[in-house]
Amino acid sequence: MKAPRSSMGSLLAAPAVLYMVVFFVVPSLILFVYSFWTAASYKIVPDFVFSNYLNSLMSPLFWTVTINAILIGLVTASITLVLAIPVGYYLVYVSRSQVILYLILITWFSSYLVRIYAWRTLLGTSGVLNTILLQAGIVDSPVGVFLFSRFAVAITLIHIYLPFCILLVVSSLSEIKKDLVDAARDLGASPLGAFFRVIAPNAANGLVGAFMLTFVMVAGDYVTPQMLGGSSGQTTGLLIADQFRKTGNWPLGAAQAFLMFLVSTAIYFAVMGLGRATGLIVKRRPAKKAGA
Amino acid sequence: MILRIVVWSILAFLLMPLVIIVLFSFHASPSLSFPFAGFSLRWYADVLGNAQLGSALVKSLTVAGFTAVITLVLGAAASLAWLRLGRGGRTLLEVLCLTPIALPGLFVGVSLLVLFAQARVQLSTVTIVISHVVLALPILIVAMRARLALFDPSLEEASRDLGASQIQTFGRVTLPLIAPTLIASAILAFAVSFDEFVVTSFVAGTETTLPMYIWSMMRRTVTPLINAISTLALLFSVAILFIAWLIGHLRRRSAVAGRTVS
Repeated sequence: MKAPRSSMGSLLAAPAVLYMVVFFVVPSLILFVYSFWTAASYKIVPDFVFSNYLNSLMSPLFWTVTINAILIGLVTASITLVLAIPVGYYLVYVSRSQVILYLILITWFSSYLVRIYAWRTLLGTSGVLNTILLQAGIVDSPVGVFLFSRFAVAITLIHIYLPFCILLVVSSLSEIKKDLVDAARDLGASPLGAFFRVIAPNAANGLVGAFMLTFVMVAGDYVTPQMLGGSSGQTTGLLIADQFRKTGNWPLGAAQAFLMFLVSTAIYFAVMGLGRATGLIVKRRPAKKAGA
Repeated sequence: MILRIVVWSILAFLLMPLVIIVLFSFHASPSLSFPFAGFSLRWYADVLGNAQLGSALVKSLTVAGFTAVITLVLGAAASLAWLRLGRGGRTLLEVLCLTPIALPGLFVGVSLLVLFAQARVQLSTVTIVISHVVLALPILIVAMRARLALFDPSLEEASRDLGASQIQTFGRVTLPLIAPTLIASAILAFAVSFDEFVVTSFVAGTETTLPMYIWSMMRRTVTPLINAISTLALLFSVAILFIAWLIGHLRRRSAVAGRTVS
C-alpha cells in the first residue's frame, strides 16, 4: 500500500495550513468584521455600519498621522534601499565575504528594542554624539534636535531595517548573472552605467519588492517613532495600537488598520506605475530570440 | 575601491550603535557620555541581582523554547510536504506564508487579540506562544524551502524501492539529510520569538517577557542597566549565529567527507 506522493504531501502540509488558517486567516476576517461594529461605553456591539471608516476618513488627526507615517516610510525606505544596493552588489558580484554577511546577520539578529535604545543613547542631549561635537568645538551647547525629531526616527528605522533590506537585495541580485555585468563592462559601460542599464532593469521587480517590504515594515513600526519622534512621532500605527490598548474602541482601530492596509496597497501600485512611466521598471518579457 | 569604502562605511553605521552599547555597559559611571570614567562590572552585578529581570528572562526562554518546538514540527512537516505537493498546494502554502511576513506586526497582533477576545481565551503564556508560532512558522517554511531545494527526492524513492517502509525511509534517509536544516530553522524560530515585542505587547495580558521588561525600563528612565542587558542579549544573538554557522560548517565538511568515501 503505497500512498500517492501528492496525498502524502497534503497530509503533511495539513497541520501547518490549518494552524495558519485558524490563527492568521480567521483573526484577519474577524478583524474585518469588527471594523463594521460599534463601540459604546467600552462595550463592543455587533452592527453593520461604515461610521468607523467614514469617521476616520473625515478626521484631520487620522490624515495627519497617516501622512506622517507615509512620509517617514517613503523617505526611510528609499534611503534604506539606496544603502542596501551597494552592499548587496558587493556581496553578489565582488566578494562573497562571509565576514560581511555575518556582520549583517549580527545586526539583524540583535534585539529590536536594544537598537532603539542605542540610538536614544547616541542622540540624546548628554549623549555620545553631542559630547563629541561639544568637545570638538563644533557646537557650543548640546544640540537638542537630534533626539525627538523625524531625523532621529529615520536614522533609527534605517538602522533597524537595513540588514533585512540588504538580504532582500542580495536575493534579488543573485538571479542576475555576473556575465551580463561583465559584458556591459567589456562594451565600455562604467560601473554605475552597468548597474543602471543592466542590473537595475533586470532586478527591478526584486528591488521594488525590497522597497515595498521595507516601506510596509517602516510605516507600520510605531514603537520607534513613539520612542524617538517626540511630537512628530504620532503615526497611524500608534493611533491604532492606542485604540486597542487605551481607548478601547476596537472597531475603530480595526477600520483604521484596514485603511492603512489599503493605503499601503495604493502606494505599491503608485510606485509600480511611477517605475513603469519613467522606464525604470520594465515588464519581464518571455525570453525571445535575438532580433525580436 | 570606492565601492569597498562605501560598503565598509555602511557596515560601520550598522555596528557603531552596538559597539557603543557594549562599551557603556562596562562604564563605571551612570553617565552615558565621554570621557570614559573607567571600567566596572557594576551593571552586570545589578542585572544578576534583579529578580524581576530573571523571571522575565525565564519566561522568554520558555516561550521561545515552546515556539521553536511547535514551529519546527509544523514547519518540518510542511516543508517535506512542499517536496511532494503539486502546483496548487504550493501556491496555497506560499500565500499563507508570505502574507504574514509582508504585514506589519501590529496587524497580526491586533487580529490575534480580537480572536482571543472573541473566543473568550484568557491572555497568558499560551496565547504568547500561539502568536509567536504565527510569526515564526512562515519564516521557517520560507527558510527551509530555500535549503530543501537541494534535497533530492529520488533518494527517498530509492530507499522505498529497496524495501524500506515509509517510517524507515524517513528515519534513515530523509531525517539525517535534513537534520542540519531542521536545527538551523529551529534556532531561527527561537531567535524570532526571543526578540518579539510588538505582537507580544497585545497578547501577553499580565505576563512579562524580556523585551516587555526592557520596554518598561526604557519608558521609565535611561538606566545603564539596559546597556548590560543589551550586551548580554547581543552576546546571545552572536552565540545563536555561531551555532548556526557551526552546523553549516560541519555539514559541509561531512558532505565533503561523504563524497570522498563514495
